[in-house]
Amino acid sequence: MAFNLTRRKFLQTASLAAAAVPLSKVVSAETGITKAPLDAMGTHGDQTVVGGICEMCFWRCQLVGKVRDGRLMKLEGNPKSIDNGAAICARGNAGVKLLYDPDRLKYPLKNVGKRGAPTWKRISWQEALDTCGDKLNQVVDKYGAHGISVFPHGASAKYPMHYFERTVGTHNVSEASFFQCRGVRDTAYIATTGKAPGEKVDMPNTKVMFFIGTHIGENVHVSHVKQYIQGLQNGAKLIVADPRFSASAAKADIWVQIKPGTDTAYMLAIMNYLVQNDKYDHDFIENHSYGFEEFSEAIKEWTLEKAAAECDIPAAQIKEVADLLAANAPNVAIHPGRHVTWHGNDFQRQRALACLTGLLGAYYVKGGWVPAKGPKVKGFSWKNHDHGTDYNLNYNQEEEALRHPYAPPGTPSELIRDCAISGKPYPIKGCVVWGQNPMQTIPNQEKMKQVFMQMDFVMCVDIMPTDATLWADILLPEASYLERYDYIKKGTQWNLAETHQQYIAPRMPLVDPMFERKDQVYITNELAKRMGHASEIPVKSLEEMTEKSLASAGLSIAQIKAEDGIHIQPGKDPYSMPEDFEVQLYNDDLADAGFPGAPTYIAVPDVPKGFARLLYGRAPVHTFNRSQNNVWLHNAMPVNPVWVNNEVAGKLGLMDGDTVSVVNSEGVASGTTTTVKVTPGIRKDCVYMYHGYGSTNPALSVGKDQGIDDQKLITILTADPESGCSGMRNNFVKLVKNGKVLDMPA
Amino acid sequence: MTTTDTSENISSVYRFLAQCMEYPDQSWMSDNFFLALDNLLDNLGGQTEKESIHKALAGPSKYTDSIEDLQVEYTRLFINARPHVVAPPYGSVYIDKSLQGKFAGDTLAFYREKGFAMDDSADLPDHLIHELEFLSLLAADNDQEGEELFLKKFFRPWFRQFHQRVVAESQHPYFQVVSQLIDFFTKEEDNDGFQLNPA
Amino acid sequence: MQYGMIIDLERCVGCHACTIACKAEWEVPVVNSRNWVNRLGPSMTPEGLASTYYPGLCNHCEKPPCVDECPADPVDMTFTDAKSGATKTMSVSATWKDPFDGTVQIDKERCLGCGACADACPYGARFVNPDLADDNSMGKADKCTYCKPRVDAGFEPACVQTCIAGARIFGDLDDPSSEVSKYVKNGAKGIEPTGGHLGPNSRYYGNKRDMSLLFSSSTPALADLGSAKRRAMLATMVKPAMNKARDIGLLGLAGTMLVKKMNEDE
Repeated sequence: MAFNLTRRKFLQTASLAAAAVPLSKVVSAETGITKAPLDAMGTHGDQTVVGGICEMCFWRCQLVGKVRDGRLMKLEGNPKSIDNGAAICARGNAGVKLLYDPDRLKYPLKNVGKRGAPTWKRISWQEALDTCGDKLNQVVDKYGAHGISVFPHGASAKYPMHYFERTVGTHNVSEASFFQCRGVRDTAYIATTGKAPGEKVDMPNTKVMFFIGTHIGENVHVSHVKQYIQGLQNGAKLIVADPRFSASAAKADIWVQIKPGTDTAYMLAIMNYLVQNDKYDHDFIENHSYGFEEFSEAIKEWTLEKAAAECDIPAAQIKEVADLLAANAPNVAIHPGRHVTWHGNDFQRQRALACLTGLLGAYYVKGGWVPAKGPKVKGFSWKNHDHGTDYNLNYNQEEEALRHPYAPPGTPSELIRDCAISGKPYPIKGCVVWGQNPMQTIPNQEKMKQVFMQMDFVMCVDIMPTDATLWADILLPEASYLERYDYIKKGTQWNLAETHQQYIAPRMPLVDPMFERKDQVYITNELAKRMGHASEIPVKSLEEMTEKSLASAGLSIAQIKAEDGIHIQPGKDPYSMPEDFEVQLYNDDLADAGFPGAPTYIAVPDVPKGFARLLYGRAPVHTFNRSQNNVWLHNAMPVNPVWVNNEVAGKLGLMDGDTVSVVNSEGVASGTTTTVKVTPGIRKDCVYMYHGYGSTNPALSVGKDQGIDDQKLITILTADPESGCSGMRNNFVKLVKNGKVLDMPA
Repeated sequence: MTTTDTSENISSVYRFLAQCMEYPDQSWMSDNFFLALDNLLDNLGGQTEKESIHKALAGPSKYTDSIEDLQVEYTRLFINARPHVVAPPYGSVYIDKSLQGKFAGDTLAFYREKGFAMDDSADLPDHLIHELEFLSLLAADNDQEGEELFLKKFFRPWFRQFHQRVVAESQHPYFQVVSQLIDFFTKEEDNDGFQLNPA
Repeated sequence: MQYGMIIDLERCVGCHACTIACKAEWEVPVVNSRNWVNRLGPSMTPEGLASTYYPGLCNHCEKPPCVDECPADPVDMTFTDAKSGATKTMSVSATWKDPFDGTVQIDKERCLGCGACADACPYGARFVNPDLADDNSMGKADKCTYCKPRVDAGFEPACVQTCIAGARIFGDLDDPSSEVSKYVKNGAKGIEPTGGHLGPNSRYYGNKRDMSLLFSSSTPALADLGSAKRRAMLATMVKPAMNKARDIGLLGLAGTMLVKKMNEDE
């Protein structure tokens, strides 16, 4: 620098005319300086703030915050909780680092550069909301409400989703939690039992747990893990069907090393064996099932031997499992799974699970599928309106029928994306992304880019930069789950064998929102005012919404606070079957709509020569890509090693810890690298990695390019015919080491 | 010139520098503001710096006007950006790799020890602006010892890195010059005016 | 009394909650850890295919090799039994084994930050925490304290409280009726370094295949005490210089000297 003075000399000689500016208000008092102790104090002496409901994942454990000088030091489970108790998982504990992530969005941003390659400028909320209102109005005026598409995820996205779906009136809403996760589970069970199953298996009190792909331990939801561990401690047998020796398989009595995609054949053989050998629950079938004859007939081809060949497992093991289940029926827990959009034949697999539960009589009995009886709390949101079927992409106007009659709520992602890209049957020109990251939730990223690029307007609301927020014209910073009122978590004690209790726990802020972050009710209402829907606004604030909901249960925020964040009341015995409960072993409606009436195995494409099937699953310390930038979680598992069978690795000359990249059968390369995990704990025809790594948004200073994004390698999409959900495990890959593409040995 | 005068001078300099780091806006970035900045630079012999700012402000705007240019650059340097925000103005980011880390807590504790508290509308305690405001208050109190301790323990350790990033990456001379001014007024010197810990 | 911790691998699901809770509770730097979870397998063991976890932490050993290596000037320190109120005065350096609860603790104010104790620990349970650097040192020795400040205040250790599977059990190994003693009776074992007799008090319980994988993969060798002693000796040599530096107000300089010496050592 050219300054030709030292600071000291300058201060002594210069005459200053620098304008003095007002200071921020400060309170002054005389104190001395004391030396702070070197050692950390621990948080047990800090102020305890109640009311937190976790959303590092979507299980929503009840929290308390430990606060020191307005700084959230630590999160703990609320000791009053009858669900998670004082325990929370790694992600829950790391919520502090999400709250204070330096990369988090702080102010409304306007993209003054290109979509996908943004240059951001901080703008005022006024300008941001005016712009969003104007642009969305323009889309509605020009193309109609259906010209807007919405990609929501998480508790904060419910209220705006309802606004756009119900009030503005677009069908084009796609929730990743349905179409790329558990939607097909719910609709398949509804088609079979009339009820969405959740994961409501009474594991603590069961004699046998039966998992298809479920990998509890790597998939972590606290009270669910507690139930599972209690079941094991109580002596339950565990059967795990998985191509990989998962965390659950490692605790299993029987590991079924099944060929990917063949699970339905496996279960049909089990069920056929139970029927043929008269090992099913006669009483249940007689009184609570429909279509046993047609069902038995339809599955009778599935002998143990046929399934053994199809599934690449020993016939004797299938028999062993079937006998174990029959011997312990009805106290068996047939787990419905969670993320089940695997192969595009998933509706049938979920139907098979529901029917198997019925054959074993394992509904509403100890250790079976038992929906706990939770408390009733009313929700407050935008009023429902019927917007007809004219612009419903899932409705086939010529045939006057739904294309995917068992689609979960909303419109299947692929129908929206195809419509947006082709402009047929109508243009979709406005896009609202709220808490979802469709670049890493909906497979085929090139397609998603095309969708974004052809929009007239894209707005994103999130707490963090994601691979989707790069495509926003306006990017709005949202208050996180620790900084707002919101979602009311309710349920029962985690172990149904204990005294029946119910709880109601509203999300209440543990700390104030920093910077200019706002919550979903504020943002949505401000949009509604600018879009001519002010008169329909249901609540003025999240606090009011919470207060109204609580009032419906005779409670108030003040009372909940006085009760340490959780209201607990007497519960009800859940172990009684409703008289009209019925399992549709054969479903006439399905048959009428042209689908198989009985659960049916639909084979998936075989692995092409030289490739391995790409499988993925949950990392215990991450919730997909959402938590990748969290320093604590990243440090716990920085990359997602690709699991390779030890014999395969031996033939390829791969060593444990080698660095590789991955390329798929359509030539799409991972771009980033990861390490190899050589293990006998995976089949030879597949490789496995944790989902959610390899984010590309450079604004993620911790998570960017760490490990490989499995989603990028999923380019072949198989839509499940009944539900329209995405099948994501029909993609095939090769490993690349030192630039050399390795042919996977058969 | 008495010690008190010097303290008052340095106090207003710190306050002025804090103002310089606010989000650029017509409401305060007036002609008078730039006159004050010019005056300061004149007194320091910073002709080149002065001219570079004026040239940039008078030159063709990349966006609607020169203030918007500064706003886009401020956003890129200090708030959110692609590929990555250049220099977040919070000490904890450099020391703890997090906002509100231990460093922010220790900074706040130091304010408390000196009898100051944060206003409700304030940013985080370790924001560059607040650290400068605090230094200004210490200077006004003529607490030279406190000023030096604060500079050494809570300001220089991260500002050095911040400054390097701003100087290396800023595409607008305004932010480079402001950062240089802050650097200049916060460096340690020995009795002869030489700097002990060059950045 | 001897505090000890049991890790029940039958329950543990490898979720890492214990490690993150510890980071939050004790403001542990991102890259350091007072406890850890190593994921083991799936690997073939003589007992069959196994996959389990090594949730590790300070073993608060019967004969802690770290304590003997501390070069800080010993001082007399009086310990009090939380239960009986009995007291005992011992001469200790900056780290010691508590005569009443059996935990191994550090006085960070007196710690020289030389890292000799970290070198002496075969488990890698100690580290020099750079966040605690002061004018005299690059940092201070840091490790699991069994959450002594929490436990003394009537709370559970942070990792025990947050464990979602109830896999961490804390208590008095000298009390035969305690939960931890029952586990020991049922076969819970500490990981003893090859050829060592340290008496680790963090112990592991599990089925045959998991225990086989844990012990075959995670049994350390005894630390090379030569390196620890060299480090301690260097710290002792620098100590007078440091005191002198303190006297003449050149605190920054002493830190630099210490760095230089250590670098030469490496």
